[in-house]
Amino acid sequence: MSIVHRPSDEALAAFAAGTLDEGLALVVAIHLEIDPVSRQRLRDLEAVQGALLEAAEPAAMSGTFGVLPLASRGIADSGRPAAAPERGLPRVLRPYVIGPWRKIGFRIAMRRVDVPGAEARVFMLRAAPGVSLPHHKHSGLEWTTILSGAFEHDHGRFATGDFDEAGEEHVHTPRVDPVEGCTCISAVTGEVLFQGWLGRILQPLVRL
Amino acid sequence: MVAALALTRTEMAGAHGGRVVALFDPNALIDAIARSGDRDAFAKLFDHFAPRLKGLLLRSGAPPELAEEVAQETMLTVWRKASLFDPAKASAATWIASIARNRRIDIARRDTRLRLSQVYEILDEDEPERPDDLLYGAERDALVRSAVSELSVDQLRVVELAFLQGCSHQEVASRLSIPLGTVKSRLRLAMAHLRGRLEDLR
Repeated sequence: MSIVHRPSDEALAAFAAGTLDEGLALVVAIHLEIDPVSRQRLRDLEAVQGALLEAAEPAAMSGTFGVLPLASRGIADSGRPAAAPERGLPRVLRPYVIGPWRKIGFRIAMRRVDVPGAEARVFMLRAAPGVSLPHHKHSGLEWTTILSGAFEHDHGRFATGDFDEAGEEHVHTPRVDPVEGCTCISAVTGEVLFQGWLGRILQPLVRL
Repeated sequence: MVAALALTRTEMAGAHGGRVVALFDPNALIDAIARSGDRDAFAKLFDHFAPRLKGLLLRSGAPPELAEEVAQETMLTVWRKASLFDPAKASAATWIASIARNRRIDIARRDTRLRLSQVYEILDEDEPERPDDLLYGAERDALVRSAVSELSVDQLRVVELAFLQGCSHQEVASRLSIPLGTVKSRLRLAMAHLRGRLEDLR
């Protein structure tokens, strides 16, 4: 696997700061889980945060620390779901409820990832080899991480692990790899305007 | 390496008014908490980091009560998770800063059951790379710290807004009333400086 497309500095900095919309952050996190190079960029940004903390002007606390609970030894935070992760899915999806695959057209299926409170809608899309996804444009962002296979559009070829950071100006017609097909996960803000027959089917399903 | 770290800290203490904090060793304090629930160690760690966390949060525009709460909760998490701290992955300050980020996300989303901070924790689980070089995290952080201390005031402000507060370049420009191009060039210079330092390590 050789990853070519990575998040912009701006997107990664917002992820590191924890200020990205949760839906967008999730798709970035999946890329980070796959790509050690981007993970290292994230660690560097976190090191900058640590340096800023160390150099910060202290502000007096109004209280000292209260009653300390018993220190736990290597025990993970409460509230972590015990549910076994689904095989083959990125681990960062563990905390989320994911719907079943649903056919949404000839050789295309999608499943919704439920991200309560997020502005972006998140869904996985699986397309058979050679399929052309509907021609569309959007008024917001469409960030995608490729989970397997590949697609290609005006801005290049995107294969496993690649991150496609499409903004408002993009109009694209992704063509799915003729041999491998493609499974990807996308977070979409604003409106996506599909064109053509498949778009008309997809539009209500993606609730856009 | 330990000597180099101590030197950096002394230099920084010196730069902040000449008060040299004798032998403040956060790694040893966290270790003492993890081993034996050492409350004195925690008190020292708290006195050092809680006011800095609060200061940083105030600077980023958080109201005082929120800043206090995030600082408290962050330190409480440090107490509970002390045994998970791995100095090979990051310095104490970097580890604590990332806990603060996660707590801040949690506090902002009380109603949505804290999924996103778990995403950050899961990403943090797997970093088995470089088992041959246990000092890598601490070494990197020491380099980053000295690189950050060398940034100009203007660069530092831009770095803070972009990397700590997650502002877009456009937001940084309007917050500081400077042109977008200036934001981009200051960030570029700051990052080049940082990466130049880190390249020695890689």
